[in-house]
Amino acid sequence: MGNSPSGMPPAEGGNNKDKKDGQPEKKKWEPPLPTRVGKKKRKGPSAASKLPPVFPTTRCRLKLLKMERIKDYLLLEEEFIQNQERLKPEETREDKNEEDRSQVDTVRGTPMAVGTLEEIIDDDHAIVSTASGPESYVSIMSFVDKDLLEPSCQVLLHHKTQAIVGVLQDDADPLVSIMKLDKAPTESYADVGGLETQIQEIKESVELPLTHPELYEEMGIKPPKGVILYGVPGTGKTLLAKAVANQTSATFLRVVGSELIQKYLGDGPKLVRELFRVAEDHAPSIVFIDEIDAIGTKRYDSTSGGEREIQRTMLELLNQLDGFDTRGDVKVIMATNRIDSLDPALIRPGRIDRKIEFPLPDVKTKRHIFRLHTSRMSLSEDVDLEEYIMAKDDLSGADIKAVCTEAGLLALRERRMRVTKQDFTSAREKVLYRKSEGTPEGLYL
Amino acid sequence: MTKAQEFSIQVQSEDPKKKEEKPKGEKPADPGTSKGAKDAKESEGEELSEEDQQLKDQLEMLVERLKETNTELYRPALETLRTLIRTSTSSMTSVPKPLKFLRPHYPDLQTLYDTWPSSEDKSLFADILSVLAMTYSDTQPRGTLRYRLLSASLRPSDSPLADPGSWGHEYVRHLAAELGEEFTAREQESLEEPSTTEEKDKEAKPKVTLPGTLDDLRELARSCAKFLLSHNAEPDAVDLLEEMEIISDITKLVDENTYARVCQYMIRCVSLLPPPDDVSFLETAHAIYVKHHRFPEALSLAIRLGSPELIKEDFNAPANPLMKRQLAFLMARSQLPLEWLGIPLTEEEAEDDFENDLQDCLFNTKLSEHFQAFGKELGVEDAKSLEDVYKSHLENTRGVSVNIDSARGNLAGTFVNAFVNAGYGNDKLMVKAEEGNSWIYKNKDHGMMSAAASLGLSLLWETDVGISHVDKYTYSADEHIKAGALLATGMLNSGVRTEADYAFHLLGEYTTNPSVWLKTSSIIGLGLAYAGSHREDIVPLLLPHITDDNTSMEIASLSALALGFIFVGSKHGEISDAILLTLMDKSEREDKSLDEKWARFMALGLGLLYLGLQDASDTTIEALKVINHPIAKTAQILVEACSFAGSGNVLRIQSMLRHCDEHINPTTAAKNDDKKDDEKKDEKKDDTHQAFAVIAIALIAMGEDIGADMSLRQFNHLMHYGDPIIRKAVPLAIALVSTSNPQLPILDTLSKYSHDNDLQVAINAIFAMGLVGAGTNNARLSQMLRQLAGYYAKEPDTLFMVRIAQGLVHMGKGAIGLNPFFCDRNILHRPATAALLATLTVFTDAKAFVLDKYHWMLYFLTPAMYPRFLITLDEKLENKPVTVRVGQAIDVVGQAGKPRTISGFQTHQSPVRLGTIERAELATEEFIPFSHVLEGFVLLQKNPGWETEDKMQL
Repeated sequence: MGNSPSGMPPAEGGNNKDKKDGQPEKKKWEPPLPTRVGKKKRKGPSAASKLPPVFPTTRCRLKLLKMERIKDYLLLEEEFIQNQERLKPEETREDKNEEDRSQVDTVRGTPMAVGTLEEIIDDDHAIVSTASGPESYVSIMSFVDKDLLEPSCQVLLHHKTQAIVGVLQDDADPLVSIMKLDKAPTESYADVGGLETQIQEIKESVELPLTHPELYEEMGIKPPKGVILYGVPGTGKTLLAKAVANQTSATFLRVVGSELIQKYLGDGPKLVRELFRVAEDHAPSIVFIDEIDAIGTKRYDSTSGGEREIQRTMLELLNQLDGFDTRGDVKVIMATNRIDSLDPALIRPGRIDRKIEFPLPDVKTKRHIFRLHTSRMSLSEDVDLEEYIMAKDDLSGADIKAVCTEAGLLALRERRMRVTKQDFTSAREKVLYRKSEGTPEGLYL
Repeated sequence: MTKAQEFSIQVQSEDPKKKEEKPKGEKPADPGTSKGAKDAKESEGEELSEEDQQLKDQLEMLVERLKETNTELYRPALETLRTLIRTSTSSMTSVPKPLKFLRPHYPDLQTLYDTWPSSEDKSLFADILSVLAMTYSDTQPRGTLRYRLLSASLRPSDSPLADPGSWGHEYVRHLAAELGEEFTAREQESLEEPSTTEEKDKEAKPKVTLPGTLDDLRELARSCAKFLLSHNAEPDAVDLLEEMEIISDITKLVDENTYARVCQYMIRCVSLLPPPDDVSFLETAHAIYVKHHRFPEALSLAIRLGSPELIKEDFNAPANPLMKRQLAFLMARSQLPLEWLGIPLTEEEAEDDFENDLQDCLFNTKLSEHFQAFGKELGVEDAKSLEDVYKSHLENTRGVSVNIDSARGNLAGTFVNAFVNAGYGNDKLMVKAEEGNSWIYKNKDHGMMSAAASLGLSLLWETDVGISHVDKYTYSADEHIKAGALLATGMLNSGVRTEADYAFHLLGEYTTNPSVWLKTSSIIGLGLAYAGSHREDIVPLLLPHITDDNTSMEIASLSALALGFIFVGSKHGEISDAILLTLMDKSEREDKSLDEKWARFMALGLGLLYLGLQDASDTTIEALKVINHPIAKTAQILVEACSFAGSGNVLRIQSMLRHCDEHINPTTAAKNDDKKDDEKKDEKKDDTHQAFAVIAIALIAMGEDIGADMSLRQFNHLMHYGDPIIRKAVPLAIALVSTSNPQLPILDTLSKYSHDNDLQVAINAIFAMGLVGAGTNNARLSQMLRQLAGYYAKEPDTLFMVRIAQGLVHMGKGAIGLNPFFCDRNILHRPATAALLATLTVFTDAKAFVLDKYHWMLYFLTPAMYPRFLITLDEKLENKPVTVRVGQAIDVVGQAGKPRTISGFQTHQSPVRLGTIERAELATEEFIPFSHVLEGFVLLQKNPGWETEDKMQL
């Protein structure tokens, strides 16, 4: 009764009296409090080194003052520590550290074994399993950092007593770490022809929330969580994503939808979870899922196990996008050609707030794209690009690139160092012909 | 080929430029990347959509027209330009198009402007240039402001163009920023004569061209502030006026829609502002509240300012009797001297029932009654036995516990019983004990005193019943029991005021009693009973003890402490002079008594007089510097710490940290040991002040959340590097920072310290755990303490402290807290702070006081104890149950819209219990509370416009 946190309900009076009548056997059993170590917890700086959060987040003097206050305190700390370090005799400190280390090493013993932590029983005991099979109830050495322990993490075991003597960290799936983009792509926004509204929209919903969160705060809205880029093939969806990656300093994770389909049951969803966990650990981050239709198609009754697995993968993705746990600074960009086949739950507002369409380029954009691709080519005098720009062909950005490349190849075939008008005309025809090859002509006429 | 290549190179070269621009944030809006590419295109004169081209042409035409000689056309051209700029909408990521197109023309227009004769047209032109200057703010600082001022100076005063707001929000913000810059630049200029060449060069241009005087700037600032206020940018308005040093003007600008947010923001800023500004902020906020008739808010600010005049004014301002009662409750909670209010305070003087009623509120007469009713509501009215608190069956003591019924155990029982059942007046050991079987007789000697005194806690606030209970012990033959009874009399009167003034009459005569026990307890009893009351008629009783050379240091110091309690934060000249003189005399006579452990209480008494007064203590500190004795340093630190208590002043914290820097190295001390005894003694004395310096850090930092959090980091370092004396004080300091607020990280830290090798540190850490969890019934803390009880089962001292801590955690069965702040943790409660400080002082040398014969000093906590309830009352001051939501308080200052102020709330029926960081709000709008903070007693009034919504109509 006395343990209820606050504002306890007043209804317990009766209870009390019963207890009084029932003689002194009031040694009622109280469940032990669960240990606090060994819970899955958010990664982040430990409490000791964390700085207090600063509110409000809007730009104002109050925020400045608070930041300055924190800085003042940090300076004080620095001054104090410097003074103390100066006063302290150095050799004793290092000696002691070394001594402690070697002590710990002896206690650990060699060789050590690696096991998996199954469950934490109390502050000093846990159940571990090793690769050789049996699970055992072992003690946790006092020098192990208990904050790092969590179920299913890798631990070092003493070779005889099997006691836990250390924790192995960084258990991210290697598959996920590959997805992390180490080298920024070279494509920048300047390499995107046209698409100005699209660039603006993606900036507003992906970049600005990461760089200037206060703008949204001032307005009192939550920034969008993600965007989906859609449009016919070759209109620059992936290119734009590359440009975003080039532009931002945030961690950029890229996945192709098909990568999320795994051989074994449950591996796909697990990969999605890992992906978002890594994204969160490295926040602020941007997750780019290309060809989302690989896993995001509409759900239907399916008897095939493979289909169902794919659907489950998508369900996990749904949960990660807008589930119970809030994602911090993780933005999602998806790209697809077939938005109509996607599951409506995937692209509902709240999961994907903005749908950005990539249309076929208009005249102005076409001109720009032509210019981009021909800028490095040596064209002969008679080439007039306007002619191709004004033509009413359904050329996408990729087609234009193909035309230019094809023209170049044709020129190469004839060992010319310049691309002539003739090359361009035949290249265009070729591309157009190939493009309409699959579709029966005149069906809709 | 060349052309095309050139183009592509240009595109790429533009890109990095944009990257540079962004972080500087000079552009009114993010220029956007497309702009970089676009600029290049622009130079080519193509790639513009038709609309854009048209706009551009139009703008260029207008500019051309301005360049022509035909003055007739100027006006329409300017007007068109203005409409074009104004009507363009900008997106977050790009510059408005007209501005972008006009940007290249800006230098031309500038030169053109200079050639014009002054006219109204020129003013309009200046206006437009001022807007354009936003795009050039990186190369020509404060251009916007310059043209703004020029335009203002050229314009006839009745022109409708005067409002800068007509150019939009971004413009006003820009202007506000430049105003601030300009103001600081001018300030600096006036400070240091323009001698440095570089500075001069920079300033030369704006100095020549900026025509306005400071007043003009301020006038402009006012109009900007007005605009900002009307557009939900209250923080910006406050910031601007603060920068222009005319914050008090905001009183005139706010209206009933904005004042609440403005005041909230200002109040939140106070603890972070440098000294003169913070007071002016508080005063301004106070003025705003008074103007809008928000008396509780105004009164709470007046209390915070500690100004008797304002308090009197505010208290007497409202005519509504209910409001007046609400204010009376607030005053009662603050425990400030009621004489300040200038209203009748005795029954004879009271003219009618209303004033009687008001007195009841002011005197807190009903506190005990309400508290006991509250206990009943929560179902905790039954007394708890010791075993209910210890729950020793859950302790895992392996070996058989040592002697169970030892004197120490019983003594601990006394305190636990007192703290746990405080205020209910029904504990089984003392009050409801059978005749002759009282717990008193299970103690010996000095233990009996504490046992008798525990009656005072048990019957806390229950003046009439309490006196009759305690009375019988005052006739006891045993000196200790009698002394305890005296102390109890003092304690039960703490925080409430009575007509009869029992404490004064009963205790007064004992202050001259020859027995030391009776004397000390009556002195301290007076101190506890009248803490914060500034009662002049007590001075003659206690002051002679200080000045008289013949009294022992013990009596003199405790008298000083008691006076410190009573005159806390009063800057009472007579007392401080007396203490100072005594210290000086004694140090000159090289009196050994200053070396006694008691001397610290005298220093503390001196410090308490200046609690929260900030700079008022300067002369005293200077005077202390003259004294050539280690105690003077302790006193200096205490006085300084007290006067800046809760202010969060970083400079003071720095100086305190410096005190901790020195190492009085234990190895050298050992060497000195052989040489001289005296020297060693000196050294020991020397480092007492460090303990107080540590506590001082906590005391100064606790007023404000950031400081409190950051100070924990300092303590961590102090613990790591510090000498034993510092390490001993660190847990105490942590306890002070988060009294009654058990946060997990703090508990973890303290739990670690409670297993320290140094037993003194462990004892203090355990006590600190008690303070941190005081009155919270925190389950985790109780478990930790139980575990400690097992761990220290064979250490009687430590076990004693564990028991005390257990008692503190269950203080008042979880209904009484020790928080030194009230009114939503905004106002420092001076008597409570004094009480906590005195207790911590006791623990700077726990072995000499609490673990010796002076355990009764634990009762120093009494003035800090206050129920953590929210009781809602109706017009007749009867309990009125309503539904309230209770949840974690969130800081919502400066956020857009109307965010919720509490999170994770639960709905309860009042009365409810509030945690330290919790806040309550009414669940329905059926009633309107009189107070702005739902805490303690709150009067409610039925909302006349309220209708029950969901009446089922069948």
